[in-house]
Amino acid sequence: MNYLKLKHMPKLILILFLCLGTASFAQNAMTAQEITNFKQRVKAVAQKTKTIGSDFDQYKHMEFLSNDIKTSGKMLFKSPNLVKWSYTSPFQYSVIFKEDKLLINDEGKKSDVNIGSNQLFKKLNQLIVKSISGDMFDAAEFTMNFSKNAETYIVTFDSKDEELKKYIKQFVLHFDTQKHTVVEVRMIEPSDDYTQIVFKNRKENQVIKDEVFRN
Amino acid sequence: MRFLGISFIVILLFTSCTVASTKDFVLVENSVEKYKNPYFADYSKDYVYKANFEVYGRTFGGLLIIKKLATEHHRVVFATEFGSKMMDMELKNDVFTINFIADDLNKKILINTLKKDFKILLQEEIRVDKAYRTTAATIFQLVDNKRFSYYYISKKNQQLVRILHASKSKEKIIFTFESKKGKIAENILIDHKNMKLKIKLKRID
Repeated sequence: MNYLKLKHMPKLILILFLCLGTASFAQNAMTAQEITNFKQRVKAVAQKTKTIGSDFDQYKHMEFLSNDIKTSGKMLFKSPNLVKWSYTSPFQYSVIFKEDKLLINDEGKKSDVNIGSNQLFKKLNQLIVKSISGDMFDAAEFTMNFSKNAETYIVTFDSKDEELKKYIKQFVLHFDTQKHTVVEVRMIEPSDDYTQIVFKNRKENQVIKDEVFRN
Repeated sequence: MRFLGISFIVILLFTSCTVASTKDFVLVENSVEKYKNPYFADYSKDYVYKANFEVYGRTFGGLLIIKKLATEHHRVVFATEFGSKMMDMELKNDVFTINFIADDLNKKILINTLKKDFKILLQEEIRVDKAYRTTAATIFQLVDNKRFSYYYISKKNQQLVRILHASKSKEKIIFTFESKKGKIAENILIDHKNMKLKIKLKRID
């Protein structure tokens, strides 16, 4: 009997640890009232935000890789719809979303891509803008789910658009519970592989000149 | 005299059927049966490259990720810099499976071209049908279905520096490798000679 107990000890300890782990990262559903308040706060912050400058780390997770692929850079946003992503490590690459165009600078090689006819890209751009500014609670486009843990509010957006769903089935946004700003975006593919973008050193409403969004 | 005439025709045929860049090859005795391409051979490594495609004057880029899953079994993923997967394929013992492909890339000619490229790039064990030498390299030749692949091993550092894929008379694809230590290729250029397509790969860590 004692032997049996001993034999199962490691497993029991493991289960206990797993439970403890889950407990500390537990996500609780938000109440209807909490959701309403949260949405209002996020929108209020977004409306006051004219510019955002933020560093970011991007992790590409694929189930078959030994390590996530990490890239880093800086994101700039200027209201209402100018966005620039500059990757600085491990390569130099920037892309500006401007009206119906993508302006790309690939290690000094500049090019334009017309996205006017490409609905998917248009949609992705809108999502990026909205997710940065925090103004994306559009029930017509997504089924949303709200939860919270000790540090963040977590909102999942399940796409209703069949075309978009082929590429990204779910967006997960983490909001800072104090500032109500987006601190993390996760884009989950149908295969469950995902891209995670973690924002840091976010600065709001600093002057960003329009020239920055020229290639 | 008649014999000479025939010989002349035979010589003419042979020379006209030879790819220009193999003209200085000197046939040598084949000392090895097999050659192993070292560049995508390590299970524990994620081979991640910044990729640039130049297609008929247009360029586009992204990330190319290659992982060895088992012997002669590789996964190849092409994704945008943002991480969105555009193409996800597996090559296992010459059989290609496409797990996912974006609508924009789902073109037969593109898929067939990439299949051919990756088959050559990722083939680990190469049967050596003939061996040659030049002043700079030892060359192993593989003959497969009326196509010839020449593997150039530099005499200077014993590294695989080039694969020439050719028909009897034409160069089809040239793979050029740059490697610091001979185990991982930091830079790869895949240059198609029969169409305006160049793929540049630069390893990122």
